[in-house]
Amino acid sequence: MLTPKERLKMILEGRQADRPACICPGGMMNMVTSELMDRVKVYMPEAHTDARQMAKLAKAVYEEGCFENYGVPFCMTVEAEEMGAKVDMGTNVYEPHVTGYVIDSVSEVSKLKPVDLAAGRAKVVLDAIRILKKETADVPIVGNLTGPISTAGSVMEPVTFYKELRKKNQEAHRYMEFITEQLIAFGRAQIEAGADLIAVSDPSGTGEILGPKYFKEFAVTYINRLLDALQEEKMGTIVHICGQMSPVYKEVNEVKSSALSFDSIVPMKEAREHLKDRVLMGNVSTYALEFGDPERVKMLTRSCVKSGSDIISPACGLGMKSPLGNVQAILAGLTEEEECRRGQDQ
Amino acid sequence: MSSKEELLKRLSDGVVEMEEDDVAEAAQEYLDAGYLAFDGIMEGLVDGMNRASELYEAEEYFVTDVLLCSDAMYAGLDILRPHLPEVSGDDKVTGVIGVVEGDTHDIGKNLVKIMLETAGFNMIDLGRDVPLARFVETAKEENAAFVCLSTLMTTTMGGMETVIRLLDEAGIRDKVKVMIGGGPISQKYADKIGADGYSQNAVEAVKLAKRLLNI
Repeated sequence: MLTPKERLKMILEGRQADRPACICPGGMMNMVTSELMDRVKVYMPEAHTDARQMAKLAKAVYEEGCFENYGVPFCMTVEAEEMGAKVDMGTNVYEPHVTGYVIDSVSEVSKLKPVDLAAGRAKVVLDAIRILKKETADVPIVGNLTGPISTAGSVMEPVTFYKELRKKNQEAHRYMEFITEQLIAFGRAQIEAGADLIAVSDPSGTGEILGPKYFKEFAVTYINRLLDALQEEKMGTIVHICGQMSPVYKEVNEVKSSALSFDSIVPMKEAREHLKDRVLMGNVSTYALEFGDPERVKMLTRSCVKSGSDIISPACGLGMKSPLGNVQAILAGLTEEEECRRGQDQ
Repeated sequence: MSSKEELLKRLSDGVVEMEEDDVAEAAQEYLDAGYLAFDGIMEGLVDGMNRASELYEAEEYFVTDVLLCSDAMYAGLDILRPHLPEVSGDDKVTGVIGVVEGDTHDIGKNLVKIMLETAGFNMIDLGRDVPLARFVETAKEENAAFVCLSTLMTTTMGGMETVIRLLDEAGIRDKVKVMIGGGPISQKYADKIGADGYSQNAVEAVKLAKRLLNI
């Protein structure tokens, strides 16, 4: 039997494993539910600001049979907050979200302070990774980063930001360079602390919002700059992009991550046809996970495998009220299939 | 001096081409020449915005483009609107729009608001991260015909169902149509929570509002 870490490593390297992996990275791809928090008596929002609690909740995700990975943090506001944005830490059912921006225009980039990795929630995340690294062995630890466009749109009003991509093009690039440098520093520190892989989610940098030209000029450029600057010795990288891919398949294929992940609007079959040589991750409907039943989730899981997904995961962050039984059904479905196959081989 | 047709075309083209300054200039010239502000808005600015939404539907324009087009449209509106003859706001159908509590992603909501305003609706924008009860209070106070709820996050979509329940409890559910939208939302979800309609994008939202309200 492969350990979850060995399996994921093989898949990310493009090799054949015994079965698809089953992970949910964390960050934007929320994998914590109310039922899970009740099981281990660790709750948000406390788990966002306390490394021990954060690590405990991350461990529960694997120990309760949901996914074969650990992942931190559980939100996408850490980077923006450390650059000065005001963040509401949310509740036990709402994620933290930005309530106050730092600057009004890309041209004010010099007013931003760099992320201090030795303080604030950046340190909480790094400490949580250190705890996971120290106390666990065979399960991959995923460090999460908010993508460059989404971070840029959390530090200032995103509508203004989007407009300035065109109106103040050169200054927008300088702003993106600063943002990306901060993400690189945070990502490198996560790997140093013990993260096996880095997942980047960029929900605000979609092809539908930006169009192919700006998607390439901004999203692809800065995601790649970030990926290129991470240490070589990591296990791999995952990039999750939201929305339709049809306008931007060509551009997406230029993203240099080990795996690409899409939300449920993208049919896995279609993604597989357009991205033949890529490791693909996804995309069990989070709607089915919240409102369906385990049988339906297992059916969707099988369909993802058949359509060419290499790493099975929810299509988006889980709804907090998703029943644990449904969440566990993805992994249960995969292992049942595998046992069934082995039975036939013998 | 330019003819009325030429100026209307400049207004419309300026919106499509996102030329805010040129639209403002053309709007001023148009007024100075003594033409009717109403025609300038409808046949110039709104015409341009409609062309922009067609390009958006055809996937030639994207969200960033439409946002800049709407800036140009509003630049023209600021100049022409004060010259409209006094009409009572009562003629307009009022809608309440906002992003539900817990979520601050409002690009989609802004786009829907722009399109609905362009289509002639009086939209009251509650912004983002809106406490759920406020949708109901505002709908009541403003005598709104419909409420538009948006969210981009699976964690907050449950708030939409709560708003519908609160409308029910306030006794105004039958007077207010509920439209929902956003990344994780689907027709299936709308059916499940008893919303009157779902639209996938801003252009569809206008069609949906008109259909629900028999306009």
